[in-house]
Amino acid sequence: MTPGWGSPGRRAGRLVRCYPATWRARYGEEFAQLLIDDMSDRPRSWRRTADVVRSGTLARLTSAGLAGGALEPDAQIRAGLAGLGFALAGFLVLGIAIWSQLTIGWQWSAPAAPATTVAMVVMSGAVACFLVLFAAAGIPIIWTLVRIARRRELHRVARPLLTAAGGTVVLVVGSRHFGHGWPGTGGRPWAHSGLVPGSLGAFSWASTLWVTSYWAHPRALSAFPAGEIAWMAASPLALLALVLGIAGTVRRLALPASVLRYETRLAVAAAVAMAGFLAGAGSWVISGGPAPRGLFRVGALDDLGVVAMAAALVLGFHCVQRAQAACAATRPAG
Amino acid sequence: MARFPASENESESDPPAEPEALAAFGRYAGPATLILSSLADGTKHGYALTKDIDAFAGVRLAPGTLYEALARLERQGLIEAVETDDRRRPYKLTAAGAVALRAHLDAQRRIADVGLRRLAESPGHA
Repeated sequence: MTPGWGSPGRRAGRLVRCYPATWRARYGEEFAQLLIDDMSDRPRSWRRTADVVRSGTLARLTSAGLAGGALEPDAQIRAGLAGLGFALAGFLVLGIAIWSQLTIGWQWSAPAAPATTVAMVVMSGAVACFLVLFAAAGIPIIWTLVRIARRRELHRVARPLLTAAGGTVVLVVGSRHFGHGWPGTGGRPWAHSGLVPGSLGAFSWASTLWVTSYWAHPRALSAFPAGEIAWMAASPLALLALVLGIAGTVRRLALPASVLRYETRLAVAAAVAMAGFLAGAGSWVISGGPAPRGLFRVGALDDLGVVAMAAALVLGFHCVQRAQAACAATRPAG
Repeated sequence: MARFPASENESESDPPAEPEALAAFGRYAGPATLILSSLADGTKHGYALTKDIDAFAGVRLAPGTLYEALARLERQGLIEAVETDDRRRPYKLTAAGAVALRAHLDAQRRIADVGLRRLAESPGHA
């Protein structure tokens, strides 16, 4: 007779999956047996479950180089950069949603509150920095991919590369299509009153359309066109595919130590840009007024977004620090 | 283990604490001490460790906490796994583990001795 879904063996097996594969390979079997023995004493215990989830999460973070003792320098730099990449992705989703919202207001009228003006200038400057940094970070990656393609070894990264490409295509095509419904200028570039090109504002707005409080109000959401709701559901998946695809591609590339150090320096700059962007967003949320005509009103989602961005920034700095420490260990003497 | 700042009340009879291996365990020092103490009288697997520690210390180590400490102790070479075909893998104390445990307990005893003596000498707490 096979054990049931709720049998101690099955429950222990599910709990053991909280841990990373390397940990399970070493301790998985004996740990599962301990859990089964413990369940014979205490059949149900939320403390045991919470302890295993906490411990497993910590083991996963340690395995990913984000907690505990450092990994080998190269692996630690990669882990730090990957951690920053994920923190930055979350940060930018929320940040761009806020920023694109303000670009709409400014297309109609300049903000009345100086704090909002400062916020928009700072955030727009930070977005420009991010674009430059992405381009600079991408150059050695693309060059490495070109070299791999010349050697006809592109199949090594085919799956993550296709995932990233698929996510990019869906995001670009969808954002351009739905950007036509932008409440700003309808996507006209460099509208006379705006701080940001209209096409960029429209693209940013459409790509983060899913970051909305309408999810908490299903009746209001159901009034949206079906295509727009489908886009709001599909675009985060496309974004996830893009981020995971890039991470998977970079992970499989054998980047030399000099490139890893270069990427770490860019990561430091990205963390500083995150701090600048957050300062701008915070300036608007704390001191910016809604005038004129309520175009720059702060919502509860914006407050939550700024808090979550602050958390992402802390995580990003933590990852960058660990990557920097590993870089110091790999730097050639003299 | 943390060093305590020297105070003007500290007498020559209060020896300074020595650094020892378990100092690097930070918040795992408690579970690590309990595990090493339990293994001091022979090999035990995870569940036997849990029961033994509960019996002599009144502390029930949760499975995740127990294995976090076991893994660290094994990495530090203070304990080692015993080969077995059983799913319940026993662990034993190594020579380095015995030295580390003795140093840690000696340091703890010095602190306990100082604290108890000062309590006894203090008129308000005697």
